[in-house]
Amino acid sequence: MILTQSMAMLVDAYRELNARKLFWVTMGLNLIVVVVYASLGISEKGPTFWIWTFDNQFFNSKFISPELFYKIQFVSWGTPVWLSWVATILALVSTAGIVPDLVAGGSIETMISKPISRVRLFLTKYTFGLMFAAMQVLVFSTGCFLVMWIRGGVIEPGLFMAVPIVVLFFSFLFSVCALLGLLTRSTVASLLLTMILWFLIFAVNATDALVLATKVQNELRVEALTLRLENQNTKADERIVQIEESGEGIVDGDGNEIEDLDDRRQAANPMIIRTKNNLEDAQGSFETWEMWSDRVILLKTILPKTGETIGLLDRYLVTKDELAKLMAENSGVDVDDEDFESINGPPGADPRVQARLQDEMRGRGVGWILGTSLLFEAVMLGMCCLIFSRRDF
Amino acid sequence: MSELAIDITNAAKTYKGKIRALRGVDMRVGRGEVFGLLGPNGAGKSTLVKILMTVISPSSCEGTVLGNPVTDKATLSRVGYLPEHHRFPGYLKGWQVLDFYGAMAGVTRKVRKKRVDELLELVGMSDWRKKRIKQYSKGMRQRIGIAQALMNDPELVLLDEPTDGVDPMGRRDIREICQRLRDEGRTVFINSHLLSELEMVCDRVAIMVQGKIARQGTIEELTEGQQHYEIELVGDTGPVSNAILEILPSVGVKQLPRYGSHCGGGRGALLSGEWLEVNLSTLRIGTDDPEKIRPILSALVGSGHTIRTVRAHRPSLEDLFMATMEDSETGETIKPGAIGQGSRHDRRSAGAAEGGVA
Repeated sequence: MILTQSMAMLVDAYRELNARKLFWVTMGLNLIVVVVYASLGISEKGPTFWIWTFDNQFFNSKFISPELFYKIQFVSWGTPVWLSWVATILALVSTAGIVPDLVAGGSIETMISKPISRVRLFLTKYTFGLMFAAMQVLVFSTGCFLVMWIRGGVIEPGLFMAVPIVVLFFSFLFSVCALLGLLTRSTVASLLLTMILWFLIFAVNATDALVLATKVQNELRVEALTLRLENQNTKADERIVQIEESGEGIVDGDGNEIEDLDDRRQAANPMIIRTKNNLEDAQGSFETWEMWSDRVILLKTILPKTGETIGLLDRYLVTKDELAKLMAENSGVDVDDEDFESINGPPGADPRVQARLQDEMRGRGVGWILGTSLLFEAVMLGMCCLIFSRRDF
Repeated sequence: MSELAIDITNAAKTYKGKIRALRGVDMRVGRGEVFGLLGPNGAGKSTLVKILMTVISPSSCEGTVLGNPVTDKATLSRVGYLPEHHRFPGYLKGWQVLDFYGAMAGVTRKVRKKRVDELLELVGMSDWRKKRIKQYSKGMRQRIGIAQALMNDPELVLLDEPTDGVDPMGRRDIREICQRLRDEGRTVFINSHLLSELEMVCDRVAIMVQGKIARQGTIEELTEGQQHYEIELVGDTGPVSNAILEILPSVGVKQLPRYGSHCGGGRGALLSGEWLEVNLSTLRIGTDDPEKIRPILSALVGSGHTIRTVRAHRPSLEDLFMATMEDSETGETIKPGAIGQGSRHDRRSAGAAEGGVA
């Protein structure tokens, strides 16, 4: 009986989406984006679009292999822009009505008067909503896989990791949408409120990135000033030795010999005082930003990690070395250059800060990213099941 | 196997906001009968049906449906249900509705294929099988709704307002379907406020008022003692009425009725105890025995009166319903709708129930 009911609901879910047309519109748009993806290319002269080549002496296949070019395109706009934003919004619009339609008066009575538990009914409907999102990502990934194979000359099955990752990302939002649909019984209200929550998560992510970049920038500054202080101390020590060898002593204004090593160094090199003051400022600033960063992380822990979840695909497809190479070529700055004192401008603008940021971001554990997000989703679904199974219709 | 399709006691439901939709309903519906539940809007009929179908959880309810506890989900595979104001997805075609809900009831694909054709034929919708529901009229949707309720070949069918929006031909068809189901040994539970419909098809009825069963039984049982004969004479009303009153002592009366006694009070009585009423040119005698009116007819004819009609009158379900809807204390018609917890009427009804009236 379970199989019969599940099959019937699957067919019904297909008929429902089919009737909405938007599902097919999204599918068609996916294919158009794949065609655009296939139209892009890179030659020895520069980037190409269809038959046109745009000469560029820095951006061509001598510096970036076609394989890396297509990977970068996929992870720089294919996933974060198309799948994570446009296609997700369209998928939400397509599926937001599933729960409100299920609980609509006149419809729900017929469904729950059948020999099926309410929890199973709800979760089956929810799963089918996710399945249709998965179908869209699968179509897009398959198209991109073929493009990468034919145009980039590389077989990259890792591209299909987009399916579980994007579906996970979508499921965090869909669980919220389902709960709101159950509470409000309105497709429009649940969709709008989900969008608002998504925007808030986006704002928290943006705050996290900004705070983290500022923290990293200060951290690098502390490291640079510490290095400078060490150098100045070394030079001061050399100077002290020279002075002592010449028979002179390190004396204060009253002509008394200075005993304390730090004071002797400062006397030998007065610039040390300024560096120390700057270091103290930088350390204070770093600690403040570190505290704020911890607070933002704490806030993020209870929210679904939408950005980081999508970022997992970047980690999977583009290695750190590939990323570093690309950043260096884009900015002309060696990310291994440790002359951090030259860092200036807005937080995160410097490629060395970006590289450290990437390290920080990629250092966030998959367990934390997915574990806490899945916990959030489980809480949402738990509330849905509780409400759905207890409500009088 | 239990002889009762539905056997519930103390079914109660209090909604948030202290609205008491059901206030302790006891009900027994035998297998193979057509049972009608009637009552005014807001009486709690749909709430009761929804409790039986697990759509609503009761505040309290003991008993069984088809021998299993009321909340047992598995039992629902043997029950068909047509909800009031049902709404099937507009994108589905007629046959798809039956197929989908049949599958949800656990019917196998092979059986569904066969049942879909049979049931579309039964409800007269075969020609519309490939049309989408959104193109259907209300009556057509109702027919499809009844068909979907029968997809799992149910032992018990609950129909909530099945004739709502259905034309007279459709109503006749639905009645025939109900009778056919009964002939096949199935139990049909109809929830309706269309009294004439129920009267034509139901074996037993229950009248629900403000969350309680006020009366329950066969129509004969419920109308027992309320059947009477009506004798209408030809002539001007005033003289005729007087003439009737004049000849009554000759047939033996315990008490003469007052003119206009049908309006309440002033009823007379025959020596054998049957009541008498006189109004305009009509005489009513409270008996279903023709022998008891024969002396009166003879006396009227013997005194030169012309009799226009003589007919045996059995109260209709509507009469019963209206009588039930009358507050026995105040004589006012009870207002439709559920009542709030702790309301004046609630307290009075509770007292009446304790006294065994309800």
